[in-house]
Amino acid sequence: MSGKSGRAAKASETVLVVEDEVLLRLTIAAYLRDCGYKVIEAADADEAVLVLQQPELDIDVLFTDIEMPGAMDGFGLAQWTRANRPGLDVILTGTAPRAVNAAAHLCEDGPIPKPYEPQLVHDRIRRLLAARPPRRPAGRPKKP
Amino acid sequence: MLAVEGGTAPRELTVLLVEDEVLTRLMLADELRSQGLQVLEASNADEALTVLQSSLPVHLLFTDIRMPGEMDGVALAKFAHARFPIIKSIIGSSGRPEQSVGDFADAFLAKPYDLRELVEQVRRLLGESDYER
Repeated sequence: MSGKSGRAAKASETVLVVEDEVLLRLTIAAYLRDCGYKVIEAADADEAVLVLQQPELDIDVLFTDIEMPGAMDGFGLAQWTRANRPGLDVILTGTAPRAVNAAAHLCEDGPIPKPYEPQLVHDRIRRLLAARPPRRPAGRPKKP
Repeated sequence: MLAVEGGTAPRELTVLLVEDEVLTRLMLADELRSQGLQVLEASNADEALTVLQSSLPVHLLFTDIRMPGEMDGVALAKFAHARFPIIKSIIGSSGRPEQSVGDFADAFLAKPYDLRELVEQVRRLLGESDYER
């Protein structure tokens, strides 16, 4: 396992990849695993919400397609995540220019247009995680 | 790590895992990856067909029987057995299938899955796979 460029991910850093095109999902998931991330795959927003509702699953970044079948698309998932898992960084990706433009306020640095280079996704994740404040050790509540 | 010596470098063995319950799929995938296997995750039979018909190598198919969509796990295993007979297959379900699995799958696992049994079956089947030769 090696970082594809520069900094390799910490083993504890987890990315939830939500993509309904299976070959695309497998490709980006494998790439991010090679970069050292733990990757959880979801095929649609319903699966992603189920994963995000598990408090024991510590997820750092949500990387989701915008256009997906089902009751909830990537916009809806990003909004749900903002409301229910506010500490989580969100990266959106999509093909439709209008949707991509509209997504700019829902994710850091704007969405990643499709088709994308996996390296670009890794770079974006790396930048978001580097800008985060360090995590407090588990089980040690902050003093008042 | 489970790997096959082929040519100059060891080749990783790959499991195509087909399960529509995301948390179950996640648990199974984690366990198989911890054994050094490559795991391709599919959430239904249609996704699995796309993977099987791609250029991605698959050495073992592990599929749930009951899944939403037009094709269930039995039909998927039959397709894989007919088109790609070299691929080993395990089917899983909370109930025994009505027909004998021996004609189209190499093993059956009952839900809830016993992870140790799963690993043993996968190791056994990949150990006797033609890919080992």
